[in-house]
Amino acid sequence: MKTFKIMAVAMFALSMFAFLGCDDEKQPGFVTVYLDHDVAGEALEFDNIKYTSKAGHPFSVARLKYYVSNVTLLEADGTAFEIKDVHYRDAAEASTRSFSATNVPSGKYEKISFIYGLDETVNVDGGLPNTQTNINMEWPIPGDQGYHYMKLEGKYDSLGMGVIKNFNLHTGATMGNQNYIKISLPLSAFSVDGNTWGIYLEMDINEWLENPNTWDFEEFGPMIMMNQNAQEVLKANGSTVFKIDKVEKE
Amino acid sequence: MNFFKIIFFLGLPAMFVFSCKKDEPKPPVDPDHPDLVYDPTPYQLAAPAYFPLLEMPADNPMTEEGILLGRMLFYDPILSGDSTLSCAGCHKQEYAFSDENQFSTGIDGLMGDRQAMPVMNIAWVSDLFWDGRAEGVEAQALGPVENPIEMHETWPNAMEKLKRHPEYPSLFFYAFGTWDITKEHAAKAIAQFERTLISADTRFDKKFYLLDPNPFLLTDEEIEGHFIFNTEKGDCFHCHGGSLLTDNLFHNNGLDANSADEGLGKVTGKTTDRGKFKTPSLRNIALTGPYMHDGRFATLEEVVDFYSDSLQFSETIDPLMKNVHQGGIRLTAQEKSNLIAFLHTFTDTAFVHRKEFSNPF
Ligand code: HEC
Ligand code: HEC
Repeated sequence: MKTFKIMAVAMFALSMFAFLGCDDEKQPGFVTVYLDHDVAGEALEFDNIKYTSKAGHPFSVARLKYYVSNVTLLEADGTAFEIKDVHYRDAAEASTRSFSATNVPSGKYEKISFIYGLDETVNVDGGLPNTQTNINMEWPIPGDQGYHYMKLEGKYDSLGMGVIKNFNLHTGATMGNQNYIKISLPLSAFSVDGNTWGIYLEMDINEWLENPNTWDFEEFGPMIMMNQNAQEVLKANGSTVFKIDKVEKE
Repeated sequence: MNFFKIIFFLGLPAMFVFSCKKDEPKPPVDPDHPDLVYDPTPYQLAAPAYFPLLEMPADNPMTEEGILLGRMLFYDPILSGDSTLSCAGCHKQEYAFSDENQFSTGIDGLMGDRQAMPVMNIAWVSDLFWDGRAEGVEAQALGPVENPIEMHETWPNAMEKLKRHPEYPSLFFYAFGTWDITKEHAAKAIAQFERTLISADTRFDKKFYLLDPNPFLLTDEEIEGHFIFNTEKGDCFHCHGGSLLTDNLFHNNGLDANSADEGLGKVTGKTTDRGKFKTPSLRNIALTGPYMHDGRFATLEEVVDFYSDSLQFSETIDPLMKNVHQGGIRLTAQEKSNLIAFLHTFTDTAFVHRKEFSNPF
């Protein structure tokens, strides 16, 4: 009995060594990125004209679909690790909320960067797999190519006559302009070392309509796919729509 | 019979089975029908590369034998209560497997309130019917037989008729390896046949997907119509886009201020889904009238007039009906006829004449 106890203790000690030994070698980690949405801090609820834009229009959101791509973690010395090449998010489909990388090299990451939309290497006809979802995001306008980066659609009260109208913030490449947005957000105290992390990104939909440019639904009208001025405005506003809500060990 | 004899008689055939196993596995042979062999030929669906990636159900692999049986069941009135009406009675090949009547008439002379949809490119449809209430082609195929306003039969009855039939039992055996005819096997066979009904042989495909260099393939009017369809001028593509000419999603396209038929809303129970219907594919659209879930428009002219000038606002109208505040997309007479000309390039004449899809009887 005694020998057995000794052996058990010895085994335990050995396994601890093995464990620490592994730890020294720095284990890759598991990182999940979540994409959530709100409107000026209020939870996103579809089909309800309950939000107000900076231009003063009460509005609702019916749909929010978009791509993020080249989602990358960056260390201070520029070492980069790509978590995901292209991710499609439909705010109404929980299954599209997150994506993960299982083999993130250990290290201290200072930034997460990504493209809102698709860059010119992917944004070509047939650049994405031929799924019904990707086909539904196609941008078939003759002369242009690729995919919608975003479909943000809903209704607004046009004021004055009390008429409810539709709005469609569709972004993409048009008239030879790529129009995708590069976004980079700082991470603090984010060290990957054999552990599991969740990075929660939150889009404030109102930011599309107010910062730095005030978007008036009436001004550009519901059809902006071939209107580069409108695309420029949204491109500028889009760079601040995301913030990091939280970074958590899971 | 004593114990050893039993062992002997069981063992003898078992030895054969084992010795057979050494080489190629032999298809099972039914002892009552030793002349029949279950050895189905796998069938590879020939879909254009530019169609969406296909997800096939793992539990219903397609075979030549399954498709043949499905084709017979699709065309055979035997599945209906009085043996007068088949699937093809409402889904006619000459109209791309739809009905030219606003409402189809069932065996009891009753009519529904929905227009019969074309059965084409159905392998890419996961939510069937105008309101998406059937999940999957197999599940849908079970419905019409027992529907009182359609074939008004019971499956047990239909199965009895098939079992007594001189040919069907062996056709089920060839297709599924069993003499036990079930409604599930019947539905699987019908689904296999329906999946073969692929329509993609049109001038539209040649021009925009196969990049046929012939400059005369489309007329100037048709090209103009294509610009209207695929830009925000007409903005048809947001719902009827892509190679299937449908997004396979649900929308309220503004037919009514207050939709009598709740559509998707009835299925989901959500008021925000009221008046939403599945976007129909526009393939073969010139052949599949009358149009809309209730067949209210007899012609494409009426359809285009509606999108141009007569949209009705409601709380659930789709945001993509971008110009509802001005009645619609407001096309000139010339633009309307150009758009309609383009819609005609979706017609697949070969599809409606293909022998493999036709009545086998
Ligand atoms: C009495 C006429 C009638 C008969 C008979 C009939 N159908 Fe239909 N079918 C319809 C109508 C009407 C609809 C649309 C119903 C709805 O959406 O509520 C429909 C819809 C369908 C659809 C849905 C297509 C889509 O795109 O969602 C399929 C598939 C179909 N039928 C297959 C069949 C099969 C298989 C049979 C025989 C077993 C059959 N039908 C018999 C009238 C008929
Ligand atoms: C918002 C999405 C949407 C847009 C945009 C749209 N449609 Fe539709 N379309 C639908 C839906 C949904 C239906 C079925 C509606 C119903 O029956 O209630 C339909 C029905 C039709 C039908 C009848 C099909 C049939 O089999 O009965 C035709 C033809 C048609 N649309 C053509 C067009 C054209 C042409 C345009 C552009 C001017 C267009 N649609 C724009 C969603 C749309």
